[in-house]
Parts: sequence; structure tokens; C-alpha cells
Amino acid sequence: MGPVTAAAETAGVVPGMRLGEALAMCPQLVLVDPDPAGAEREWEGVLRRLEDAGFAVEPVEPGMVVFETTGVERLYGGVEAALRKALVSVGPAWDPRAGAGARRFVALAAASVASPGQAVIVEGREEQSFLDPLPLSLLPLDEERYAELEGLGVRTLGSLASLPGGAVAERLGREGKQAWSLARGGERRRVRGRSPAAELVEALSFPEAVANELTLRRAFGALLDRLHARPERAGRPFRKLALSAKLVGGGSWRRTVTMREATAERGRLRSALGPKLAEIPAPVVELRLEAVELAEHTGQQLALVAPEGEEAGGRLREGLRQVRASAGGGAVGAVVEVAPWSRIPETRALVVPRDE
Amino acid sequence: MSAGDDARPARADAIRRGVAGRLNVPRPALVEQAVSGEPRLVDRELVTVVREEWRVVDRWWTDEPVDRRYFEVVLESGRNVCVYRDGERACWFTQRA
Repeated sequence: MGPVTAAAETAGVVPGMRLGEALAMCPQLVLVDPDPAGAEREWEGVLRRLEDAGFAVEPVEPGMVVFETTGVERLYGGVEAALRKALVSVGPAWDPRAGAGARRFVALAAASVASPGQAVIVEGREEQSFLDPLPLSLLPLDEERYAELEGLGVRTLGSLASLPGGAVAERLGREGKQAWSLARGGERRRVRGRSPAAELVEALSFPEAVANELTLRRAFGALLDRLHARPERAGRPFRKLALSAKLVGGGSWRRTVTMREATAERGRLRSALGPKLAEIPAPVVELRLEAVELAEHTGQQLALVAPEGEEAGGRLREGLRQVRASAGGGAVGAVVEVAPWSRIPETRALVVPRDE
Repeated sequence: MSAGDDARPARADAIRRGVAGRLNVPRPALVEQAVSGEPRLVDRELVTVVREEWRVVDRWWTDEPVDRRYFEVVLESGRNVCVYRDGERACWFTQRA
């Protein structure tokens, strides 16, 4: 079993359980195909709703976000009201839980003990007494370390925090020292709100599911051309791109690539993202390319002599621009050969929209 | 108006919606066939010679199997046309092969 909902958890189903065991435990269990692209989209929606409510969010992982309430406390009438607003923004369908504390780990621990839809606030002077009885499972440790600590009779954060730091570091190494520090509340770190995400997405739906890698590569090339030509990009190079696919069974697939050096060169983008297409596990009904992050505009060294064919390319672009202006968006398409070897003529090529 | 004329606005509409459109979609053809199964009249024009004939049988494992018998013919007017008989739907289509 992968991730489970709160309702399934109430029925005794836990992540990692065998399927048969889970079905025996909860016969009404509904199995859903993994949909990472859908999950990411929904999570992005949650983050945007929080941002719309005035919170500067710092996402930790899907399902967990850190935000500062100081800036909006006067607006909403205190920490508690701000957290209530945050919970409402997320929506009840997510069973959101909120925790507030002067330090991140304390806030996380508070959220982990809250019930769905509830906010727990831990005052600065109560921090240690709040953390002391909590289980070690809140700490980012691997199984062996938990077992080792349990073997030593250490079962709560309080008992770990009361040990001398040097002895913990000597016995459990760096990871143990970090856990010990968290058990004492962890460090104070400013919340760094993310920069607003770019809304640059291009998608291509196929008339029928496509499993052929070459076809997908061609479609990806067309998407890249379209994304590259989007005016909102304003010449800025791509820092992070996400390639996702809606699969034939209803599931989805998604890969994110961060460029070592932000670039707008199609060749480099193609070689960074193209090989990921081979990892798609099932036939694809829709392919999406998203610019997750754009770098700030950087100056580019211009060529002394214009490359060959540039003039003809410029004239062609101008001609297409005029066609588009007179006939409307979507008037220009490009023919993409997707399966030139096919014995069925209508499957050999597709016409895809071209906005460049 | 033929089916091909219908296909073009549909394709333009698909492109506007960001959906890839098909190229070279088969169009229904009016064909009268001889006893041998070869076309005798295509769109009311006499077939003078059948230049080539071939079969395409594919995707028989899917819900949309393909069973086509293609003919490349020359009409009385000198026009070269490619038509096929769809074995699944029992009707004739014209398409550039």
C-alpha cells in the first residue's frame, strides 16, 4: 500500500501494508492509481490558496508547508485566527492540521498532535514540556536508529533531550546529534517564502493513447517549441522544468528537472528532458510541459555575423505572425511526423498547434 | 460537401484547443465494384486501370482493428486516386497512401 487517507487509516490501513491484509482489514477499501502529477497540481492549488490568504509559504514536501503568521496576525486578529484562516484556505477535504511555535520543529510537532481541522499553538515557555512526552517517530531517523534508541530505553523526545549531547553524538553520530537537537526544539530559522510560481504550461492531447517513444519525443519537441515561444517568458531562460503525462489507465507520471545552468537553448533542454520520456510506464493520452521556475533575465552574447538562414527564418516568422493576426490564434499548425513507418496512413503524422 | 471538407474545420478546432489533429484522414468515396472486388467506378468516373493493389491488416488485437484493401487506380480523366475498401465497416474510402 502507498499513501492512505485519514479514513482508511481510521479503519486500520497503514502505508506499507500488504494489499491482501489491507483488504481484509477494510473490505470497502478503494484503490486508486498513483497520480503524482495530479497530486502536485492539487498541492500547488493548496499553496496558492494559502498565498491568496496572505501567507508567505515555504513548501517542505507535498503535504507539509511552513509559513509565517507574523505579517497577517493583525489582519486576522491573532495567531489562532490566522491559523484558522489557513485551515479554511486549505479546505476541509484535506483534513488539514496546523501547529504554531517559535521554532519549526515545535510547530511541526504541534501539527502532528492536532486533530484534522484543528490548530495547536505552543507558547515559547511551554515548548520543552510540550515536546517531552512526544514519541521519537517525529524525528527524521531511520529504522535502525529508532531500534537502537528503544533498546537503550529512550522512547520519548524528553528522554532523548535529557541525555548529554556529546554522548548522543558519540553513540549515534551526526544524525543522532541532529535528532537530539530537534528533541530540544531545534534551531530557529526564518521562513523563506517561495517566489510566485510561473504559470507557463503547454499540453498536447493525443487522439489515441501513444506508447511509442519516438512519437512522444516529437510531441515533446513541439511542446518545447511552444513553451519557448510564450511571450510571458520575456526572454528569461528556464531554471526548472516539469514533464508530466496523463496515462491511459487514469494515472499519471511526472518528472522535474532543474538545469545546472539556466538556459533557453532548445537543444540543451531537449537533451536534459528527452531521456525521461523512456521512463513513462504506460501509454500516454496527454503530455504536458511546464516551466516551474524561470531564471532572471541575463544578458546574452550576440553573434557578430548572423547565422545562416536567420533572415529567411525571420521572414517566415513575420509571415506566420500576419496569418495569425488575420485568422486568429490556432490558425498556424505544424506537421509532426510521429510514426512515418506506419502502414496506416493517417497515423503517420499529426498537426500540432504552433504559436511561435 | 464531402467528409474531407468537414475534417478540416474539425482539425482547426482541435488545434485551437491544443489537441493534435490527424493528417490524411480517410474520406468516404462513392465506389462501384466489379465482381472481383476491384473498383469499377470511383465518384461516378470510370476506372481505366488498377495500378496497384495491397492489403493492410493491423491492430487486430485492439477494439479498433484495421482491415483495408487498397487500390491505386487511374480514372478516365487521367486522375490518379487511391481508394480502399474497409473490411470492418464494409464501405469505401479515399486516402493518399
